[in-house]
Amino acid sequence: MKKMIITNNDWVLKKYNGKFTVVYIDGTFKDVLLAVRDKLHLGHELLTHPLGSSVKPGETPIKSIMISDEKNKINFSSVYMIENAIITYDKFNKEKLKFLDDKRIEDFKLIDLTVLESALNI
Amino acid sequence: MKLELGYIFIKDIQFSDVSKVEDGTLYVNKEEVKALILEDQNFQKADVELAKPGESVRIMPVKDVIEPRVKVEGPGGIFPGMINKVETVGSGKTNVLKGAAVVTTGKIVGFQEGIIDMSGPGADYTPFSKLYNLVLVCEPVEGLKQHDHEKALRFAGYKVALYLGELARNLTPDEVEVFETPTLTEGLKMYPDLPRVAYVEMLQSQGLMHDTYVYGVDAKQILPTMIYPTEVMDGAIVSGNCVSACDKNTTYHHLNNPVIHELYAEHGKTLNFIGVIITNENVYLADKERSSNWSSKLAEFFGVDGVIVSEEGFGNPDTDLIMNCKKIESKGIKTVLITDEYAGRDGTSQSLADADPLADAVVSGGNANEVIELPPMDKIIGHVEVADVIAGGFDGSLHKDGSITAELQVITGATNEMGFNKLSAR
Repeated sequence: MKKMIITNNDWVLKKYNGKFTVVYIDGTFKDVLLAVRDKLHLGHELLTHPLGSSVKPGETPIKSIMISDEKNKINFSSVYMIENAIITYDKFNKEKLKFLDDKRIEDFKLIDLTVLESALNI
Repeated sequence: MKLELGYIFIKDIQFSDVSKVEDGTLYVNKEEVKALILEDQNFQKADVELAKPGESVRIMPVKDVIEPRVKVEGPGGIFPGMINKVETVGSGKTNVLKGAAVVTTGKIVGFQEGIIDMSGPGADYTPFSKLYNLVLVCEPVEGLKQHDHEKALRFAGYKVALYLGELARNLTPDEVEVFETPTLTEGLKMYPDLPRVAYVEMLQSQGLMHDTYVYGVDAKQILPTMIYPTEVMDGAIVSGNCVSACDKNTTYHHLNNPVIHELYAEHGKTLNFIGVIITNENVYLADKERSSNWSSKLAEFFGVDGVIVSEEGFGNPDTDLIMNCKKIESKGIKTVLITDEYAGRDGTSQSLADADPLADAVVSGGNANEVIELPPMDKIIGHVEVADVIAGGFDGSLHKDGSITAELQVITGATNEMGFNKLSAR
């Protein structure tokens, strides 16, 4: 199955553009979730979970999500999962994100990249 | 498989010229411990501190907590596949320095977390405030990559814990507890009038700083499998999970897994404890499907009437939790889930990121979003400036007087999902 990565992490764009279809979002974590939702409505399938495991949405501004490159019939479990993720994202206080410096953002990019790579099995 | 745990109760910890245990006091030669840490060339400097119950001490950011143990009889050694050879552990005799712990601290990445207060209101939220702690403060060499730093720190903790555990090798335990699990065939015949129960333990397995190891294998690469509960007591499962202080399972939690201990305590009284199934929490949705298929298949194969499932972390592991629940329930096996909640600061939001009507028996470890006030402490071990950036901290959380306003999730072990804490909900 061909894969598409939707991300606001430029490290992922740099490393995987060409190997996969990478859609770079110049925006927030929420913008990535919304872009994924829109794709799922068109029939793409969610391949990685849209939420982090332990790094909460209120802590990190960075997110990469993998979906199928091909479109098919709408996959309702994918849609259910992304909608739930958006509700969960909105629940978290994002106050902390305003104060992140470059070093910390880089660390979040690294974590996001390694979590994505754990799914790519690289 | 039968294991005798011999507890040597530790009631004080002190630095001394010679490392030893005498009359319940753990004496530690600081220089030897430092030298042990600095054997690893990834560290340029190491310091060792003591933290005792009741002291005005704050430890942060905490990475792992490890209980010193030593194998005195039977095959293998503690932490097989990590430090000791990959031999099957869980039988014979193991001595434990009960009441002591090794705590590792360090800033691996810019955002960090994990507070242990040894006194005050914060101390009530963490079980580790009740322990006599040897705290390792390790400074990495310039330019050390995060992966290497995390690994080096993890191994420093294991090595020092084994060094202390070795002091218990020739001691006579103050108390002995025996745990035994027979083969599946024998186990199923026991206590025919009691419900047969297994434990499904979910292990965090998502990448850098989110990993757990089983006999040295990264848990994201395992298929769910069975493990004798006594193997876990000998360190077959160790934590490399540094993120989300409140609901990560430290190595101490694995060694002292309260679900396993409680199931043994009830074995033959209210239930028949059959065994433990371990499974992972991967990022890839196909992995989640495969692993929950497998854990439910094993529960069916075990022939149990019910399982207890414990989660680790929040967010996408909630999906694994619910998948495990649904698939196990669909085989006619009852489930009880142990989790914690991110229900917002007022506790009124949806607690988990996933849900299902079949998840009708759930034990909560508490609400990690609850806001707490931690008064200033006289001494900080580690890095106090980290308070502002730890999980659940928010700008302004570190006040001028050294007090901290933050969410409960900053405290190591506060909402533990094995139930190794005091919080819950009714």
